[in-house]
Amino acid sequence: MTMVTTEEEAQVRVADHASRTTSPSVTRRVRGLSDRAIAWAFIAPTILLLLAINIFPLIWTIYLSFTNYQANRPNRPITHVGTKWYQEILNSPDVWAAMQATAHFVFWTILLQTLIGFGLAYLIDRKFRGHAFWTTIILIPMMLSPAVVGNFWKFLYQPQIGLFNYIVSFFTGIPPSSFEMLGSVSLSPWSIIIVDTWMWTPYVMLICLAGLRSIPDYIYEAAEVDRASPWRQFWSITLPMALPFIMLAVLFRRIENFKMFDMVNLLTGGGPGSTTEVASITLKREAFEKWRTGYSSAFAIILFVAVFGLANIYVKALNRVKQR
Amino acid sequence: MNHLMNRFLRLRRGPWENLATIVIALGVLMLLQPLSLTLYTYSFATMLLGTFMFVIVSKFPE
Amino acid sequence: MSQVLTTAHSVVAPSPLSKRIAGTIVILYAVISMIPLAWILMTGFKTPPDSIAYPPKLVFDPSLEGYCNLITTRTRQTQDYIQSLGAPKTTCDEITRKRDMVIAGPSNYLPRFWNSLIIAFGSTFFAVSLGVLSAYAFSRFKIPLADDLLFFILSTRMMPPIAVAIPIYLMYRELGLSDTKLGMILLYTAVNVSLAVWLLKGFIDEIPKEYEEAAMIDGYTRLHAFFKVVLPQAATGIAATAIFCLIFAWNEYAFAVLLTSGEAQTAPPFIPTIIGEGGMDWPAVGAGTTLFLIPLLVFTVLLRKHLLRGITFGAVRK
Repeated sequence: MTMVTTEEEAQVRVADHASRTTSPSVTRRVRGLSDRAIAWAFIAPTILLLLAINIFPLIWTIYLSFTNYQANRPNRPITHVGTKWYQEILNSPDVWAAMQATAHFVFWTILLQTLIGFGLAYLIDRKFRGHAFWTTIILIPMMLSPAVVGNFWKFLYQPQIGLFNYIVSFFTGIPPSSFEMLGSVSLSPWSIIIVDTWMWTPYVMLICLAGLRSIPDYIYEAAEVDRASPWRQFWSITLPMALPFIMLAVLFRRIENFKMFDMVNLLTGGGPGSTTEVASITLKREAFEKWRTGYSSAFAIILFVAVFGLANIYVKALNRVKQR
Repeated sequence: MNHLMNRFLRLRRGPWENLATIVIALGVLMLLQPLSLTLYTYSFATMLLGTFMFVIVSKFPE
Repeated sequence: MSQVLTTAHSVVAPSPLSKRIAGTIVILYAVISMIPLAWILMTGFKTPPDSIAYPPKLVFDPSLEGYCNLITTRTRQTQDYIQSLGAPKTTCDEITRKRDMVIAGPSNYLPRFWNSLIIAFGSTFFAVSLGVLSAYAFSRFKIPLADDLLFFILSTRMMPPIAVAIPIYLMYRELGLSDTKLGMILLYTAVNVSLAVWLLKGFIDEIPKEYEEAAMIDGYTRLHAFFKVVLPQAATGIAATAIFCLIFAWNEYAFAVLLTSGEAQTAPPFIPTIIGEGGMDWPAVGAGTTLFLIPLLVFTVLLRKHLLRGITFGAVRK
């Protein structure tokens, strides 16, 4: 609160704004702290915490990304290397490959989750008996810890004893020990896609459901009067009106899966080889196994810019949905 | 075409914000595409440009 | 409103047949999606041989061996030694001795579980306290650059955890906060406060401003009105927000695995390290997972009405 009084000058404008929002009769009666003091006293702790735990580290990372600092050798003198790490990362075929592993994962998870999620939402919106109960059941996977989920899917994917292989062989007749979801180069990228889809389809479903429910009945009623076929109603009413919500869900999953770490780290650890080495896993290896702190700081900044850019778009989409 | 130019020159938030969004999306696409290493190399610069642009144009009047 | 127009064929009121088809597909999906979870739950009550049997056993004799193995460490002993010990004192004693082993001591699971609880509740308390204050200020006062501040607050949550972990690791090493509960509480508070501010702002926006103004005309100060009028009105919202923060802190893995190793380690990085003799001890993993997930199942049921708000940062209300 002392901070507030020292910055008095700068905040005169704030006070003007603050008093304008409540009626004058009220403002006159206020005793004790003024509104502007309260406003800043209420916000300051949050901002200070975020500055200390998020912004200060971010600035430090930017600084480190131009040095050859190594966290496991803190006493070595730091030399500045300019944009060397950025050039190295952005010209490295290995990192590019990690980006493509990420892209493969992001593309397929979003496609599957959107199709299944929207389909489920569309069906739930038929409001059959007990739909509320079954919706809650469907939501359970997304509440679970991704790390713990990754760990127990590892059990389901075991080649001989795992339930997943058993069910697949039950329906297809392929011997359950003849394929390894986690051990084979061609199947392991799909193993993480399956788990992520299982876990996050409910998320997309829930947001799509909100989108479908936001469409007012009278639009459908008008379409009925015009004798529009159900097919036409779907393409010209349902889909366009639910689209902002679908976009919101897709954008958020896009950001989340782009930085995916926990589930993949436990399920495949990036392997076999580097087939499922998504960007965050590469970053972890560089930062906490090879201890190339400068290099990984530059990598972190590249990932951060991608996420920050997408977050801007996400908030724009949020505001669009909010207006509904 | 002329009409489009005018919309940008009036420095309104809407069209500029859309442009920035496209630049960011393009940058992310370049980062993740499997076709060209050169495009990948310039993805970071594109994303950075788009993000800066977005931050600046969001200050333009509606 | 315009009920006259609704007919049996209208999309507004789906036909009984389409309802039945929709219901069947949705229930089928729900049941299939529950199989993995049910399986890990069952595995917790199997014996180690049953858990790796082929074909997978659907019917089995339930056993507490997984739970015993989860909370104890055991050593292999000779028959003679085991016989010399006298009668087993607990169920776990008895189960362990059947495998020619004796209990050597407690395992790390319960301390890790306890760490999870302290860190989750501690960080939730701070995040919600800070969040409710900021949310009130953002909701009621005109703050310069409010939109930018709000975006800044939200964007901190979007940062990739591994990218943030590098400098946090260095910072905590300097401050002596690595592998301490305080360090983890601070970190999770910072991550959660963004969600808390956004969610609570939505809830507080819905409380009519007139309530406080009436109270202030009656002679309350604004602080008084905030504590006596706004907080009770926002109680549901605060509870829902708290549960979301709890879930995040409870589930978090990336920071936990990189920044903690012993003293402050939480359950998520610990569960995958449960290893038995000769490979993973799957019943113990199943037991540990079950205990860890039960609070989350309870939370899901409690939160079902507010879930949508929580996952869209308060933007979508219904």
